[in-house]
Amino acid sequence: MPENTPKVDCRSAMQQLWDYVDGELTPERMTAVQRHLGECAHCVPHAEFAERFLAALHETRDVRCCPQDLRSRVVAKLKEAGLTVD
Amino acid sequence: MAAATEGHDTRDVDFAREALPYMDDVYRFAYSLSRNTADAEDLVQETYLRAFRSWHTFQPGSDARRWLFTICRNAFLRSREKRRHEVEVEEGDAESLASLAAPEDARRDGLEQLLSRVDLAPALQRALDELPEPFRSTVMLVDVEDQSYDAASEVLGVPVGTVRSRLFRGRRQLQEKLREYARDAGFASAGTTGKEQTDA
Ligand SMILES: [Zn+2]
Repeated sequence: MPENTPKVDCRSAMQQLWDYVDGELTPERMTAVQRHLGECAHCVPHAEFAERFLAALHETRDVRCCPQDLRSRVVAKLKEAGLTVD
Repeated sequence: MAAATEGHDTRDVDFAREALPYMDDVYRFAYSLSRNTADAEDLVQETYLRAFRSWHTFQPGSDARRWLFTICRNAFLRSREKRRHEVEVEEGDAESLASLAAPEDARRDGLEQLLSRVDLAPALQRALDELPEPFRSTVMLVDVEDQSYDAASEVLGVPVGTVRSRLFRGRRQLQEKLREYARDAGFASAGTTGKEQTDA
């Protein structure tokens, strides 16, 4: 199995880190970076930090929601425009 | 009456089911583009009216959010009559991507401690609101709205490499803002500076 997965050293793991945590690498590269992280004490904290940072960023979803009166106004406008359901 | 409009009803039912549930998402994206409540509200309304009128162009089974975000951004550009001339310094190469903030610094700056706080979201939201364009809308789409690089590239009308470099730079700026916040909030361990820079 290691024969057909790309070689990953610390440098290349760090270069691909954001793509890795975003799940944007090819499956082969995902596996290769993951394997490197599994055996490298230097790179793991970087990956953990990146993941925590992104998780915190994702939590901002709950901070801002569409105001309820806007929702009603949009649906009212859509009905004016011909929408027959709500 | 009901029978006569049945074709329309199906179409409308589909629209209501596919598009209306994403109003929170569209609102957040609209806010990230306009950065004020009144404009964001107008933009959401405009987006949904356009989406309704062009619902026939929506590919059934494709991602309705991606489609709505694209309409929203186009509506925003039109509302501003803004020429698309974003000066983009392309530095999305591998070298610059390696210069990621080190966790050693993060620990010293109190950033790690800060990230484990449950009430960080409002501060992070403010930092995100202050992020300049084009980084803000890109980070918003990928990191908050879970869009792939490919989807963000389509919504924003830029190549995937540009999405990648905007993300990198946007995230770095956010981390800088959080560092300031950590210092202000007293998370940075001021007494331990300068000792732990062992790796280059
Ligand atoms: Zn390593």
